[in-house]
Amino acid sequence: MIKVENLHKSFGDLEVLKGVSEHIKKGEVVSVIGASGSGKSTFLRCLNMLEEPESGSIIFEGVDITQEKVNIDVHRQKMGMIFQHFNVFPHMTVLENITLAPTLVKKMDKEKAEEMAMQLLERVGLADKRDEYPRRLSGGQKQRLAIVRALAMEPDVMLFDEPTSALDPEMVGEVLQVIKDLVKTGLTAVIVTHEMGFAKEVSDRVLFMDGGVIAESGTPDQIFGNPQNPRTKEFLSKVLY
Amino acid sequence: MSLERIFSNVIKLMVQYHQPLLKGVGITILLSVFVVFFGLVFGTVVAFMKMSNFSIGKFKPLNAIATAYIEVLRGTPLLLQLYFFYFLMPALIPALGDEKISITVALIINSSAYVAEIVRSGIMAVDPGQAEAARCLGLSQSQTMTKIIIPQAVKNILPAMGNELVMMVKESSLASTFYLGEIMSQQKIIGGATYLQIETLIISAILYLILTASLSKLVGIYERRLAVSD
Repeated sequence: MIKVENLHKSFGDLEVLKGVSEHIKKGEVVSVIGASGSGKSTFLRCLNMLEEPESGSIIFEGVDITQEKVNIDVHRQKMGMIFQHFNVFPHMTVLENITLAPTLVKKMDKEKAEEMAMQLLERVGLADKRDEYPRRLSGGQKQRLAIVRALAMEPDVMLFDEPTSALDPEMVGEVLQVIKDLVKTGLTAVIVTHEMGFAKEVSDRVLFMDGGVIAESGTPDQIFGNPQNPRTKEFLSKVLY
Repeated sequence: MSLERIFSNVIKLMVQYHQPLLKGVGITILLSVFVVFFGLVFGTVVAFMKMSNFSIGKFKPLNAIATAYIEVLRGTPLLLQLYFFYFLMPALIPALGDEKISITVALIINSSAYVAEIVRSGIMAVDPGQAEAARCLGLSQSQTMTKIIIPQAVKNILPAMGNELVMMVKESSLASTFYLGEIMSQQKIIGGATYLQIETLIISAILYLILTASLSKLVGIYERRLAVSD
C-alpha cells in the first residue's frame, strides 16, 4: 500500500531521515518506536507529504506522491492523520468538525454526511456531544473526535502521530481502546507511539527507528522479546522497567 | 483668568456652538469609520502580499513590496503623509484633487499599513496544526484558508481593529490642518472667532474623550462576547 524508498529529509543542517526504506502492506498495523529525535514523527509526516523529503520516493497505491505534478490533496483524502495535539477545529461543533471534509471535498450532501457522522460518533461514545464545541470536550474526547473526523473520509490508511502523548494519564486508555477497535476492522495503520504495551498488543509489525534510519523491524514478539540490534536492546531497557 | 470663568465660558460655548460641534463629532466618526473600513480592505490585501510565497528565484517581489509599503508608512509621520497626498493627488489625478478626498485617501493608506500587521499577526497566531489537520483531510489550500484559518483569525483581528478605530478617532484630528470639518477643525474655527482657545480645547478634549471611552467600552463588550463563544 505504501512503499517508501531511500527517503532523505533534513531541517537546515540537521539530517533527520538518512535513507529510510519500508513497505507497509494493506491491512497491516505497523508501530514505529524510538527515542525522541530518532526521526519517527518526521518519517510519518513524510508519508502524507506534510514534510517534503529531499530525495527518495513514496509510492502510495501505485502513485509516487513525491512527484511535483501530483495533486497531493487527492491522495491525502485516502490517508487519515491523527495528531498529538488533536487539532480539532475549535470554531465548529463536533458534528461540523466531522462533516466539513466529506461535504466540501467529496461533495457529499449534508444530510448523508450528518447521518454518517452520527454513526461514527456513536461508535466512539460521543453521540450526545454532537452540538458541543470542542472547548467543552476533554482531551480524550477531542482525540476520539479527531479519529472519527479522519474516518469520515473513509481513508485507506490511518497515520497516528503519538496519539496519546498529550493526554492526561486517565484518558490514554479510552483513546487506545478506540484505536484497538479500529484496527480490528482491518484498517491499515501506521502508529508512532511511546506506549510500548499498546504497540506490542495491536501491531503486526514494529519498526525501531534510531538516528534517522529503521534500525530494526520485526514482529512485536521479535522486537520486544528478542531484539537483535544493540541500540534496540538499549532503548527497550530504558523504556521497559 | 479664573477657573470659574473658564468653566462658565465652556458651558456657554457648548450651548452657543452646539451645532458646529456636533457636526464636528459626526464628521470625526464618519471619517474614522470610513478610513478604518477601507484600511481593513487594503490592509488585508497588503497582509496577504506580505505572507505570499510567490518568488522569482530567491526574490519574493510581493513580499518585498508589502514590507516596504508598511515600513515607509509606519516609519514616517502621519502629518507628513497628509501633506504629501494633499499636494500629490491634485497633480496625479486632478479629478480627485479635492482636499477632502486627498486627506481621506492618505488616512486610509496610513491605516492600511497598521491594519496589514494586525491582519497578518492575527492569521499567524492561528495554530499551524489547524492548517495541517485541514490539509490532511484533503482540503485545498484555499479551502483551508476560508473555512479554517480566516474564521479563527477574525477572532484575533476584531478586537485589535476596535483599537485601531479608537486610534483613528484621535489621529483624524490631524486632518484639521486642512480644515476637514472634524472636531479639531471646529475648535480652530470657534477658537479663532471667539479668542477662547483654552475653552474650545477643553470642549474638544471632552468630545474626544466621550468618543474614545464609549468606543473602548463597545470593544470591551464585544471582546467578552467573543470570549464566551470561544
